Amino acid sequence: MRFFRRYPITLMLVVAVFGLMLAVAFNTTARVNGERPARTTDLADVVTEMERQRAQLTAQVSKLRAESDDIDSQAAARLGEKDSFDAELASTRLAVGLTRVQGPGVVVTLDDAKTMPAQSDPDQYVIHDFDIAAVVNALLAGGATAVDVNGQRVVATTAIRCAGTTILVNQTRLGAPYTICAVGDSAKLDMSLNSDLASSELLGDYRVRYGLGVDVEVRSSVTVAAYKGTLQPGVATLGKGE
Amino acid sequence: MFVLLLALIAGVLIGLVSQISIPAVLLSYLGVAILAALDSCLGGVRAALERTFSDRIFVFGFLTNTLMAAFIVYIGERIGVRELYLAAVVAFGVRLFNNLGAVRRLLIDRPGAE
Repeated sequence: MRFFRRYPITLMLVVAVFGLMLAVAFNTTARVNGERPARTTDLADVVTEMERQRAQLTAQVSKLRAESDDIDSQAAARLGEKDSFDAELASTRLAVGLTRVQGPGVVVTLDDAKTMPAQSDPDQYVIHDFDIAAVVNALLAGGATAVDVNGQRVVATTAIRCAGTTILVNQTRLGAPYTICAVGDSAKLDMSLNSDLASSELLGDYRVRYGLGVDVEVRSSVTVAAYKGTLQPGVATLGKGE
Repeated sequence: MFVLLLALIAGVLIGLVSQISIPAVLLSYLGVAILAALDSCLGGVRAALERTFSDRIFVFGFLTNTLMAAFIVYIGERIGVRELYLAAVVAFGVRLFNNLGAVRRLLIDRPGAE
């Protein structure tokens, strides 16, 4: 073994230990560097994936809802109550917002300002959740029977709120421009928009002062989207009486 | 020389395959210890080529170098002079290149070397 005479076994062991240390340092650095940037990208991926899943599930809900209505209607037919059942089902669905609705009404568009002077407060030049809420409230106060925001139907459990740079309606992220469609008596809706304090300020003063892309259009036929979310009552149970 | 290379590769492979890693706070200790170990290895090769190699001196040198290097980093962090590890880095860096130069000369200058 002339190798061992030249390079003793201890030397080789120590060189191997040195290699091991190198590998450990390499593993650790890879782990540490991998951790932090990965978390934000992971989070973004999770959100995108969840949104994709939700779109799929929403489509599934619509399909199942149609099937369930079919089955209900068949059962009613067997009991000989088909006509009255169908009518009740249709009016209930209309009332809670599960159907597309068409009729005369107004379309309000809200968009951020196109330009912004230097050294000004950028908050003043964009549309906020409370702006949308103000318009929706004014429309409902004016007797609107159905309202949607960018295709998200406003129903009993709808929340309009802000999440970073986007606005959530029915837990769905929306971005500017916002189109608010309302079915109802056009004249009354228009009047309500102009008499409500918050919405009239937005449509008048603020539009002029900050150059917001705000527009109200009265139409003879407006289509309002159906509610696509769930109507699960959650922890609620039927109250006693009434 | 190839035997040493094989030993190095074996060590690296064991580390990579076993996926051993240490807490991130200890990384600076390991870095300086690696430098010390590399210096010891080169010193060992040099001694082997000069035929003055001694097991005891070599193993003790390796252990004290690595531990001392880690200790200097520790002391630096304790007394708030985090840059103290630079002392170890510079010292071992200079020695490392000295040893490397010696090894190179020994390998090239000897007629009939393998």
